[in-house]
Amino acid sequence: MSLQALLVVAAALFGIGVYGALSQQSFVMIMMGLELMVNGAILAAVSLWWSSSGGSPEGQMLAVVLMAVMAVEAAMGFALVINVYRIRKAEMTEQVEELER
Amino acid sequence: MSPSDLTTDLLFWLFGAGAVVSGYLVFRTDSMVRAAYWLLASFAGTGALLLLLHAEFLGLVLILMMAGEMTIMAVFMVMFMMNPAGLNPMTMVHQHKVAIAAGVIAFLGLGAVGLLGEFPERPLPETTSVDSARITADLGRELLGESMLPFETAGVALLATMIGAIALASRKGRFGTADAGSAAPEPPEEERRRREHEGSDDGGHHHHGHGHDQSHEHGHGQDHDHGHGHEHGGHG
Amino acid sequence: MSGVLWPHSIWLQAAALAGFVLGGIYAADLMERLLGRYVAGAGVRAGALLAGPFREAALLLSQQRSRTERPDAPAWALAPMLLAGLAAVAAGTVPLGPSAAVAGVDSGIVLFGAAMALVMVCVFLHGWSANSFAPLVGGYRFVAQALSFEMPLALVLIAAALPAESLSFGEIVRSQAGLWNVVRQPLGLPLYLVAALGVTFQGPLATPDAADLAGGTRAEVSGAALLAWRLARGAVLVAVAAVGAATFLGGWSGPWLPGPAWTVLKTLALLAVLVASRHLVARVRLERFVVVAWAVLIPLALLDVFLTGVFLL
Repeated sequence: MSLQALLVVAAALFGIGVYGALSQQSFVMIMMGLELMVNGAILAAVSLWWSSSGGSPEGQMLAVVLMAVMAVEAAMGFALVINVYRIRKAEMTEQVEELER
Repeated sequence: MSPSDLTTDLLFWLFGAGAVVSGYLVFRTDSMVRAAYWLLASFAGTGALLLLLHAEFLGLVLILMMAGEMTIMAVFMVMFMMNPAGLNPMTMVHQHKVAIAAGVIAFLGLGAVGLLGEFPERPLPETTSVDSARITADLGRELLGESMLPFETAGVALLATMIGAIALASRKGRFGTADAGSAAPEPPEEERRRREHEGSDDGGHHHHGHGHDQSHEHGHGQDHDHGHGHEHGGHG
Repeated sequence: MSGVLWPHSIWLQAAALAGFVLGGIYAADLMERLLGRYVAGAGVRAGALLAGPFREAALLLSQQRSRTERPDAPAWALAPMLLAGLAAVAAGTVPLGPSAAVAGVDSGIVLFGAAMALVMVCVFLHGWSANSFAPLVGGYRFVAQALSFEMPLALVLIAAALPAESLSFGEIVRSQAGLWNVVRQPLGLPLYLVAALGVTFQGPLATPDAADLAGGTRAEVSGAALLAWRLARGAVLVAVAAVGAATFLGGWSGPWLPGPAWTVLKTLALLAVLVASRHLVARVRLERFVVVAWAVLIPLALLDVFLTGVFLL
């Protein structure tokens, strides 16, 4: 369990998240890709804290802020998805291609 | 290599591979609820890795948060996706090759940084074993001591998010209910007048669609305070 | 004194924990039958009462398992097993005696909270996987209920952790050596019991498996799967009662009997209260009661935390 292995796992999670966020058509699936990206970031932050910070708690602070970011992104994402559906009746990106209905 | 090191390595590979594989399966499953719970499994794998890294509190809080969040996501999947149980398998992807290329490039780039970068070697201070109670206590003191500003800012940001999400998603607004946009279009004037003359329903007030009579709707909307997404059909 | 009776090997501790949980499930079932017959005014025969749970288990094992059309079979099979696993983890955080608990991590409260959050996932999966109407509605109702009651549950446990200056249950029990938390924090135990009823869907808040949904999430289950589901639910109830006993009633501390015996007695007392609520308190309307959870219980729990902090300073 070295730092390199942990960072490779975090990079893999981030890469899968990028793939998901770019390839999915449905809004909720795009959000799942974004969540995976933040997941990778949290893992990378805590692995760097474990190996390179000497126990300083500011590394954990970064992880706490990242979890708050995840919560904010999920909440606002869901609220926007609901709103877009109400106004444009669209749940996929392809359905909001035009500026004016 | 001591036995506990071997166990730790084994658990690391198990949870690390599990997190990556279940993250991949999120986008491969047909059933949408299963996709949300594969994401939960990926987060549980990451949480277990955090536990192995002696960040006990963070790992458990991650699992706690993600249990609720992924269930909400499953509920949203069922609300908004056309195929929630995956009973009719269909692939809904666009720009697939671009996405795969971007994912691979991101992985290679970040992996290269991780493998080739020079990170300082300052591991956690070991006494006999790493004391997780002290780590959690240090985090607590940091949250309310040196890092109080980021902590309070995060708290205020979460409060603003709560208010914003409720304002965006709530059903009753100043100008009528929110699903006025997603209601069926009202019948044109002539048809409505014709139906009134025929006297088919009760004077033609309670047609489908909420939006056409704003003042009526306001008087109506006051007692529907349940607000948990119940769709009251014509007039509740 | 209690160290004499308490095994130190981890396997013996795990076996003792398993015996504790299974004994608690049996005792809870007995109490419920006893109270049910008392409330109905019927008589009780000791032999039939004591053998009752076993006969029901045998009956369930002999039943045929029902099938639905295109269920989510892996998730449906996973749900009771995951629930039982979560109950084991939650019960493992509680120290039965002065030595450390089986899963005695230093953030025991957070582990318990995470286990209770995953209970919501289990019940939703159990309701969703059956691909049938009544279980699905039961699962959705429970999601609304569990989200509302998790917050007061976590907050009262945090308030109990404040005097102990630690998140582990062992430290919380040790911090009650002078005075039990039920006296020091009067708001704590009632709030904990209400939130526990909500999270483990018992008594007045037994919404996901309710009779008005034709059995809810267990409507389409029968046979061994139903037995597994009911056992897992009983195990979660015992775990919640054990955590309540450790947090508010002083855990293993007590004058004459050894520590584990006191834990058992206090857990049984809380189990009796939780089980009695099924027969003595009417079922509430969930749409109204979640408003109470958000608007009344959370402010009361925050008040509990605030008062505890004020008294500590």
